[in-house]
Amino acid sequence: MHDTVIAPGGADLDVDVRNLTRVEGEGSLHLRVSDGAVESAHLEIFEAPRYFERLVVGRSMDEVIDIVARICGICPVAYQMTAVHAAEAAFGVTVDPATVALRRLLYCGEWIESHALHIYLLHLPDLLGYPSAIDLAQHARATVEGGLRLKRAGNAIVARIGGRAIHPVSVRVGGFSRVIRRDEIASLRADLAEALDLVEATIELVASLQPPVFRREARLVALRAPDEYPMNHGRIVSNDGLDIAAVDWESMFEERQVPWSNALQAFGRDGRPYLLGPSSRVTLDADLLHPRAAAALVRHDLADRIANEPNWSIAARAIELVHAVAEAIDIVEGYEPPTVGGVPWTPREGIASWATEAPRGLLFQRFGLDADGRVVDARIVPPTSQNQAAIEADLALFAPTVLDRPHAEITHLLEQLIRSYDPCISCATHFLDLQVEETS
Amino acid sequence: MTAVLDVPPVVRRPEVPDTLEVIPSVPTTLVEMLACGAPDRGDDGAGVIAVGRLADAFPDDVRTRIVGQLDIDDLLSVPAGAGAVVVDTVVGVDPGWIVEIPFSGLAGRDAGIRPRSSHALSIPETVAVASIIRGRPLPGIVVAIGGVDFGLGEALSWPVAAGMDAFALAIADAVRRVRRLVQDAARRD
Repeated sequence: MHDTVIAPGGADLDVDVRNLTRVEGEGSLHLRVSDGAVESAHLEIFEAPRYFERLVVGRSMDEVIDIVARICGICPVAYQMTAVHAAEAAFGVTVDPATVALRRLLYCGEWIESHALHIYLLHLPDLLGYPSAIDLAQHARATVEGGLRLKRAGNAIVARIGGRAIHPVSVRVGGFSRVIRRDEIASLRADLAEALDLVEATIELVASLQPPVFRREARLVALRAPDEYPMNHGRIVSNDGLDIAAVDWESMFEERQVPWSNALQAFGRDGRPYLLGPSSRVTLDADLLHPRAAAALVRHDLADRIANEPNWSIAARAIELVHAVAEAIDIVEGYEPPTVGGVPWTPREGIASWATEAPRGLLFQRFGLDADGRVVDARIVPPTSQNQAAIEADLALFAPTVLDRPHAEITHLLEQLIRSYDPCISCATHFLDLQVEETS
Repeated sequence: MTAVLDVPPVVRRPEVPDTLEVIPSVPTTLVEMLACGAPDRGDDGAGVIAVGRLADAFPDDVRTRIVGQLDIDDLLSVPAGAGAVVVDTVVGVDPGWIVEIPFSGLAGRDAGIRPRSSHALSIPETVAVASIIRGRPLPGIVVAIGGVDFGLGEALSWPVAAGMDAFALAIADAVRRVRRLVQDAARRD
C-alpha cells in the first residue's frame, strides 16, 4: 500500500506528511544566545486561544461543569472538580460524605491515568536513553505493558464513576447524576490490587534512574489541606511561607500576556515565577502522603532531588502514583453509597471560586454568578499557564550548561527538560522546534 | 434393533450452569474503524462526522468506534486477525486534502522521533507501540483530512466541508481494502 493524497478535485499527488499528530497543541522553544550566554528562553505557544471563559457566560453551574471538562482530554476531572466545588461553596451546599469519597476516588483515577502515561510513555524513554516510546517498547515491552495496565486502572475508575473515561458526565452540583452502587465500586478491586504491585515496581524503577543533573532553587506552590493529601481542597502554600485561602489566588498571583505566546503566563504579584505540580505537592505535603507512598519517599531518599531537580519530577509522579492507588483501594474498601445521588440546592448571586490539584498542579477557577446562578464572568487558570514562566526560567539556567554540545543534543536535552514538567498547552505542547539565535 | 443405554438417566433442574463451554469461532469483526476527534471542535470532528455518514455502508463485520484521541489500548482491543482504519483530522496537509497512510508506512516516517506530545503519543508511535505489544504488525490504514479550524463550537471550515464527500469515499475504500487484506490473510493461514 502507498501513501496517497487526494485533492478535493480528485487529482493524486505524492507528499511527505511530517506532522501527523493530534492538533490540540503546538509550541516551540526560542532560545536567544549572545556571546555564549542565554539572553532569553521563550516557550512559544501559538495555538489559538480557546475562549472557554467566554463560552461559559450565561450558563448554569451544572452546564459549566460539563463545558469545562472539554478543555482537556487528560485532566477533565480536574476542571470538573474545581467548578463543582466552587459552585457548592457559593450556593452553600453540603454534600454526602460518600460523595466526598467518590470525588476523591475519581480524582485518584485521573492522577493514575495521567501520571502513568507521562512516566511510562513520555518521560521514561528519555531517562532510559531511548529515542522514542517505540524503542522503549521494543526493548522493554513488559515495562510498557505494565505502564499501560496502570493507566487502564485509572481509566477504569474514571469510567466507572464518571460514565466514560474521557470527558466524564456524571458530576453534578450537589453530588452525582445517579447513585453509584457498592458493587460498581467493588468491581475496581482486582485492577487496583494489580496496580498496587505495579506502582511499587514503578518506584523501584524510577529510583534507579540517573537523569541529567540540574539543580536549582524554585518557588514551589501547592494546596495544603489539614487532613489529607491535597486534591479537592486546601489552602495555597509555598516553600517560602505563603499561606492563603485558595479563593484568594488573585490577591497573590497575576496573569500577564507575553508577546511570544498565545497562553497567558502567571507570576506572583512580586514578579517571581513559581512551580506547581507533583514535585511541589510532594515537597509541601509529604507528611500527608499515604503511608505506603511516604515510606517509598524515605526508602529511596527522594525528597531533596524532587524539590530541587526538575528531571526528578518523574519520581514525584511515581510517589503520587503509589499514593493514588493506595488511597483508591482504601476508598473502595470503605465505600458506603449515599441514599440519593445528589442533594438539592438553590442558585444565588455571588462569586464561585475554588482551586484543586490537577495532575499538573493547582487549577484555579472563579465565576461571577447572577441571581439565577448563571455565569456573568469567568476566570480559568490552568497549571501549565502558571508553570510557563518557571519552565522558561529553568531553561535559561540549564541551557548554558549544554551549549557546547551538538545542536541535536542541545535540542534533545532542552526538550527533555520541558517534558519533565509535563506541560499541557490547551493543555499541551505537541511538537517542539528548537531555534537557537546567536547574535554575536 | 434398539440401542440400550447402560447409564442411568440424569434429571437436571433447568438452571444455567456456572460455566458454559466456549465454542471457538471465527472472528466476527474483520475491520475496526476508529474515529478520532471531537465533533464539537470544528474540523477536529470531520472524522466522526464522515464515519457517521458511513454507518450503514458496511457489513456487520466492520465495527465503528468513536475513540476521541487514539490510545494504544484502542488498537490493542482490535481483535486478533482483524484490521483497523484510523480516521482523523491532521495538520501538515492543506485543509480539505485527504491523506491515506498504511500502518506499515508510519514507522519509517517518524523514525528517530522522541515523544513529542505531552498529551499523548503521535499516531505513528501509538500504532508502532501497539503493534509491538500485540506481537505482530496490525494491518490498517490511517485516513485523514487536513484541517484548519479547531475551536470549540466552530463548524467545519469550508475547505473541509467541501472535502467531506471525498473523505467519506476514501474511508470506505480504505475499509474495503483492509477487509480484503484481512480476509486474504485468514485464507492463507
